[in-house]
Amino acid sequence: MTTPTIAPFEDEAGISLDDDLIVFDDVSKFYGEVLGINRVSLRLEPGITGLVGPNGSGKSTLMNLMTGLLQPSEGEIRVIGIASDAPELGHEVGYLTQFDAFPSHLTGRQFVASYLRIHGFEPPRVRELTDRAISRVGLEEAADRRMGGYSKGMRQRIRLAQAIAHEPRVLVLDEPLNGLDPMARSEAIDIFKDFADEGRHLIVSSHILHEVDMISDRIVLLTGGYVVAEGEVQGVREEVEERPIQILVRTSRASRLAAALFERGLIVEATLHDDGGGMMLRTRAASEFYRAMNELVPSLDLEVETVTLADSDVRSVYAYLIENEGGAS
Amino acid sequence: MTDSTALAADATPSSSRRPAATGKTRRQILGIARLELRRQLLGGRAWITYFLAGAPTLLMLMWPLSPVPKELAGPLEATPIYSGFFVGFLSSSIFLACLVQFMSLFRSEIIEKSLHYYFLTPLRREVLVVAKYLSALLVTTTVFLMAVAASFLLCFSPWGLGELGTYLVDGPGLRHLVAYLGVTALACVGYGAVFLLLGQLFRNPVVPAAVLWAWEAINFLLPAWLKKLSVIFYLKSLLPVPVDDGAFAVLTEPTPWWLSVPGLMLFTVAVLALAAWRARTMEATYGAD
Repeated sequence: MTTPTIAPFEDEAGISLDDDLIVFDDVSKFYGEVLGINRVSLRLEPGITGLVGPNGSGKSTLMNLMTGLLQPSEGEIRVIGIASDAPELGHEVGYLTQFDAFPSHLTGRQFVASYLRIHGFEPPRVRELTDRAISRVGLEEAADRRMGGYSKGMRQRIRLAQAIAHEPRVLVLDEPLNGLDPMARSEAIDIFKDFADEGRHLIVSSHILHEVDMISDRIVLLTGGYVVAEGEVQGVREEVEERPIQILVRTSRASRLAAALFERGLIVEATLHDDGGGMMLRTRAASEFYRAMNELVPSLDLEVETVTLADSDVRSVYAYLIENEGGAS
Repeated sequence: MTDSTALAADATPSSSRRPAATGKTRRQILGIARLELRRQLLGGRAWITYFLAGAPTLLMLMWPLSPVPKELAGPLEATPIYSGFFVGFLSSSIFLACLVQFMSLFRSEIIEKSLHYYFLTPLRREVLVVAKYLSALLVTTTVFLMAVAASFLLCFSPWGLGELGTYLVDGPGLRHLVAYLGVTALACVGYGAVFLLLGQLFRNPVVPAAVLWAWEAINFLLPAWLKKLSVIFYLKSLLPVPVDDGAFAVLTEPTPWWLSVPGLMLFTVAVLALAAWRARTMEATYGAD
């Protein structure tokens, strides 16, 4: 990755703006035969970017790639002008990973200070940055206790302190609000907003849509390793509203079921299969559709072979997230 | 959490936020050593090393307490006994302790899912390999140098302090002791590098370690050209008193020290270079997404 191949992003005066951006250029990552992410191209500006998608959609792969923990199988990544395989990236990136692991024999303060030393800071600066980070996450009282005895919320906070201690320009957070009580969640969100207000990048992933929705300037929607939508939250939301979800139903009396669903106003389109044993439906009310199916199947005496989401577009991702996590507004 | 606005960090330029370049690598190595030494001196695996070093030495403590065989008139006659003891100590305790300490340098962090903390720092991976290796080397070498010195003195103590002093000062004792200590240090250097690499390369490094152990254990039975593909052969060549491998051993001319020592050092450097290359291509995924 020594020769940059990404076309420079320039302003009207022709000045390169790439040094402020996180750039993915046609990036794919495979774990052997398994797809992590596929042909992702992104240009993320400073501010809060939410990564949203179901479990296994590629959020963590994307985050591991932009922090240098993984290297792409294909394509190129530059994070504020630094190649993702350069050791210097460590100066500029802080990462709260999904792994709730740390050297448990250390105290919280020792944990934060240890990795600041490995950054190469001199001892007085290590002490200053450690105190600042611990104070920022409000863990002063527990800082000198061994982390082995920390609660889940305290572990999350000390890991956040470790991620922000060297004052990175890019902070990447994988499910950062996990384990935090409501007060701590609110305070963590304040920290994130302050961080972004200082002109830094904040990348937040969650499979709980409303958490990301609440704090993000823009979102990236992923499913099955593909980016299915990205942009300002409102823009993506409008795109979602306009696109009905597709559902495949295989049943003995497809036309009778379609008629009943039309009567209830739950579907906007039904395409019957040639064999008469199924149909493709489009609905804007997935939850009501599934509830109605529970009533109609016994009342119409139907034999149902399959009811499954037939597409993986932005609407179905949203539907999945909303219905499974009880989230977005 | 405290009022975040009051504590908001300055969004100062990168250059002023970064650590000073002068002495940065030295500070990074010291930082790693501090973290690793704490883990290796006080962690669970450290107690295995202490046991492996301490148990044979404690057994040697029994030797002065039992009656000395009449055919052993003095320390000089006992030198083959210590040589035999040392080879057993080398191929069991030192081998296994190096396996435990060095193999876990990367493998245990992968199992505990904590390796990414290192990988997220602005640290060259080769520096990480060298710093981890030196930390483990410091621990194993210190522990085993003390154990070898103690067992050596205990072995020659039944004839009294006067005889022991004469053996050490006027006889070959001190030269022998220095040679045993040197072989111990070289064993930690060589085996340490091999086990560090195995810990990086294999998800379950116990199997290749067992194969290596078996290979080293049957070394005395192998033909000359195969003997030379081992660490123990070169270490045995450096022993001040040749060890009797028994009736079935295939006799081979020992390699002179001026070939054995640089050869082992070169071998170690080559293995560490391979480990550094491997570290550069490692990804901290822990098999999960």
